[in-house]
Amino acid sequence: MFRHTPLRYAALIILFSGAVFTAFTAGYFGMEILTEILILAILVLALDLVAGFGGMVSLAHGALMGLGAYAFVALATKGGLDPLVAAAAAIAITAGTGWVIGAICARSHGIYFIMATLAFGQMGYSYFFERPFFGGDDGMVGPGRFDLSFIGVDLNDGRSFALFCLALLGLVYLIAVATLRSGLGRSLTGVMHNEKRMRALGLTVWRVKADVFGISGAMAGLAGVLAAQHILFISPNLLHWTVSGEALVVVILGGLGTLVGPLIGAVAFVVLKHELSHVTTYWHLIVGLVLIAVVMSRANGIFGFIEARFGPRTDRLIQSIQTRDDAKEAVKDA
Amino acid sequence: MTPDLGFWTLQTLNALQLSMLLFLLSIGLTVIFGLMHFVNLAHGALYALGAYFAATIASTAGFWVALLVAPLGVAIVGMALYGGLISRMRKSGPMAQVLVTFGLIFVLLDLTRIIWGDLALAINTPAALSGRVEIFGTGYPAYRLFIIALGAAIFSALALILSRTQIGAMIRAGVDNDAMAACMGINVERLFFIVFCVGCALAGLAGAVAAPLLSVTPGMGLEILIPTLIVIVIGGLGSLKGAIAGSLIYGFVQTFGAVLLPGIASILIYALLAAVLLLKPVGLFPAKG
Amino acid sequence: MKKTLTAALTGLATILGAQSALADKLNIGLLLPFSGVYAALGTEIEAGFRLGLEHFGDDLGVDLNIIREDTEVNPANGLARARKLVMQDRADVLVGIVSSGVLGAIRDFVHGAQVPLIVANAGNDEATGERCSPYITRLSFSSGQVNRPMGRWMAEQGITRVYTLGADYAAGRQMIGGFTETFTAAGGEIVGQGWTPFQQTQDFGPYLAQARASGAEAIYVFYAGGEAIAFVNQYDSFGMAETMPLYGSGFLTSQLYINAQGESANGVITALHYVPTADNPENVAFIEAFEASIGRLPSEYGVHGYDAARALTDAIRAGARDRASLANALRMTSFDGPRGATSIDPATNNIVQPIFVYETVTGETGAMTQNILATLPAEADPVNGCAMPAPATN
Repeated sequence: MFRHTPLRYAALIILFSGAVFTAFTAGYFGMEILTEILILAILVLALDLVAGFGGMVSLAHGALMGLGAYAFVALATKGGLDPLVAAAAAIAITAGTGWVIGAICARSHGIYFIMATLAFGQMGYSYFFERPFFGGDDGMVGPGRFDLSFIGVDLNDGRSFALFCLALLGLVYLIAVATLRSGLGRSLTGVMHNEKRMRALGLTVWRVKADVFGISGAMAGLAGVLAAQHILFISPNLLHWTVSGEALVVVILGGLGTLVGPLIGAVAFVVLKHELSHVTTYWHLIVGLVLIAVVMSRANGIFGFIEARFGPRTDRLIQSIQTRDDAKEAVKDA
Repeated sequence: MTPDLGFWTLQTLNALQLSMLLFLLSIGLTVIFGLMHFVNLAHGALYALGAYFAATIASTAGFWVALLVAPLGVAIVGMALYGGLISRMRKSGPMAQVLVTFGLIFVLLDLTRIIWGDLALAINTPAALSGRVEIFGTGYPAYRLFIIALGAAIFSALALILSRTQIGAMIRAGVDNDAMAACMGINVERLFFIVFCVGCALAGLAGAVAAPLLSVTPGMGLEILIPTLIVIVIGGLGSLKGAIAGSLIYGFVQTFGAVLLPGIASILIYALLAAVLLLKPVGLFPAKG
Repeated sequence: MKKTLTAALTGLATILGAQSALADKLNIGLLLPFSGVYAALGTEIEAGFRLGLEHFGDDLGVDLNIIREDTEVNPANGLARARKLVMQDRADVLVGIVSSGVLGAIRDFVHGAQVPLIVANAGNDEATGERCSPYITRLSFSSGQVNRPMGRWMAEQGITRVYTLGADYAAGRQMIGGFTETFTAAGGEIVGQGWTPFQQTQDFGPYLAQARASGAEAIYVFYAGGEAIAFVNQYDSFGMAETMPLYGSGFLTSQLYINAQGESANGVITALHYVPTADNPENVAFIEAFEASIGRLPSEYGVHGYDAARALTDAIRAGARDRASLANALRMTSFDGPRGATSIDPATNNIVQPIFVYETVTGETGAMTQNILATLPAEADPVNGCAMPAPATN
């Protein structure tokens, strides 16, 4: 089950203040990078929820994000819906699609699960790539950002949009934690550790997987809606399996199954990519080497490494403070 | 005008040719999985490496030398990978191994770009095979028949080795239960090493064979990876039978899909994969139940 | 909402534009794919562009500062990079764009921000048609422009029944569409059409067998990059040259690929806006310089970059120093270049240039070369719904 350790709280606070600080100090491009990180963070949280806590390593999440973006743009521009309504509908669509994919793939495990999700993802990619209604490989122009003037926010301002994404990321994080702490999340962890036993206990395993995949799909859909609003343009590249593969790299780089780790992974990946791509066009080479090094170190990603190194110490520290406080209180009580 | 017997024969040969190319790639991948329980995602990159080696060698020493030397070169790269990365990852679990090979894709892709550049290369079809064979009144490229024959020969050889030789028995034992095989006195580590290198050599061979047919580009490894994975998953992991069945299904669905159902040709194979996994979650002929 | 965005961008652009109005330094944003499937194209365009600046730009009295960004052939990423070049690096002019998808993605942004863009490859007809902009000038080609003359030319050669084959994506559909339109108008018949899934097709055998079964007199195709090499090799291996000769849009046998295609390309007849064997003094000089610096013959991509640099330096020489004046001056571009007489049609901002019909043949040294069969006169593209004010001529 997911637990917040002091170290995780500390990391969250550092990340949050870092994001807020950047939002108020960065120039134009810094803001763009911040927004890119925040949107990627939503996607990788969605992926960590299924992969890290349910053992469902998905290569369909890029496609789910792309589906969210396409549904949002198509409903808003061709369907004439209000962007907020279109966004809600797009998230509902990706949630439903995620649920169906989760239900169908529930019986597959390991590489078979990866391949099954890949198949669904690539089907979506090919569909949008070849459909002139959705602009084919040329893509579509987005409907612009949400009109939040009724609460006095202009999202066309880069900073406001970054803070808006940050708020939604926070919301997604809380939903992920709530999901994992609910009965559903506990069942999911049980299924990941011993599916046969959970089935023997009378649990409808496929239902648990599908429900969590649906929630995760909704999050990926939200990431897609935000991506469409950030760039103001969408193309089938969003759905390609390499996007899912990259998201998986980010999750692993940060630390699978920690929720906090993938957030760190998103920061590290985007910053690394932008810094390196200015130095060399062969930046994939370096990302590949970093990935190999991280996996070879046998730590669970960057955050896993930090946890293994400093986790026990901070835990002890906190514990000793607590025992001291308890002792003081005991003295007081006495 | 109307498609006749010759037309369908041609298309059947096209399907067989594609199947055999995919078979050469997937057999190495699937046996490595059967023994070591991890999917080497860098297999496609090794295939690209084979094509690049072949293109370089063929330009000076000719096609036939390239066909022999390129797989050896890839096998040597495979040995280095095994010694440097894979053997150290033996105890880290399959997911970690998959990710290391995923990182390798990035590294090998950019290395080929740095060494050979972004421009596409190609090999000329060898003179002996550049002609055509008359089949039902239409010419069929001899080189494609050569690919079919080569695939069939490798399949027969592997089937014989696996069923009739001692090393074949050892591999079957290892796929079945590697811990038990080790208890029986089989040097499992050495077995892994041999199988890994042979798998790499076959990937290199596939690359060298494909080079005169396709073009040699940095992205070719990534392009072939997904079809290869689809083949081994449809067929079921770890078995020769699965690899050949998966290859044939892929080759025929792709070829006849393009002819009969051009509108949905590109999603047909993915739909088939999803359907197979829905009915048989571990593929058609997995090594283990 | 979109209006406010455009207004905001315009306001910002005006401020930025005003700042650099008097400067003797211009920022050039070079927006090309340096990784991904079109990396080779991006590299050659950049080489041509830098060569062009060297040839035409050393006496300008203006410092030219080039900032490179990698589009990765991804429209969304291309747009993000274009925004970065304009908003952060304050580019006065953007040059590049290989893929039509990227051009479609950044069109509204450059138009709204009023930044001149010199297109050095992407050929989608809309960019100089219904979605044209006074800020977007194309120095490369349009899909229709390259393929339409070939339809008429083939009909004139007495070919009446053609099978077409192309990669199934927007550019492929447009290229084949341009040919089909003029070929049928000239009395020809399209007996069948095949579309191969883009970048997912390794084996063209099934499609070639279908083409052969159609009984057409000739086959007309569009492929580029790795697909072009694989297609030409496989077409040759089926021995179809005797019964169904291969024609196509000239990207199929671009100078960039013919070394890899080798003898397979012998006898293929295609049409393109540039061939290295074009006989004019500008081309001879260009080829010599390109070979000296890069070590191989240039293709049409190198020329796109070279001519983009020529157009830009001509505009600067005419006194343009800021975004508005550069955009205006670029629309009046006209020079004799490696492709012959080259000019911009101010009605669409597309290039007007002759089209070469050429046969790829084995040269004296054994390397493949081009034999020009016909030079079709330059004609301006139809306006295609493009409406914009004429450039100011003072």
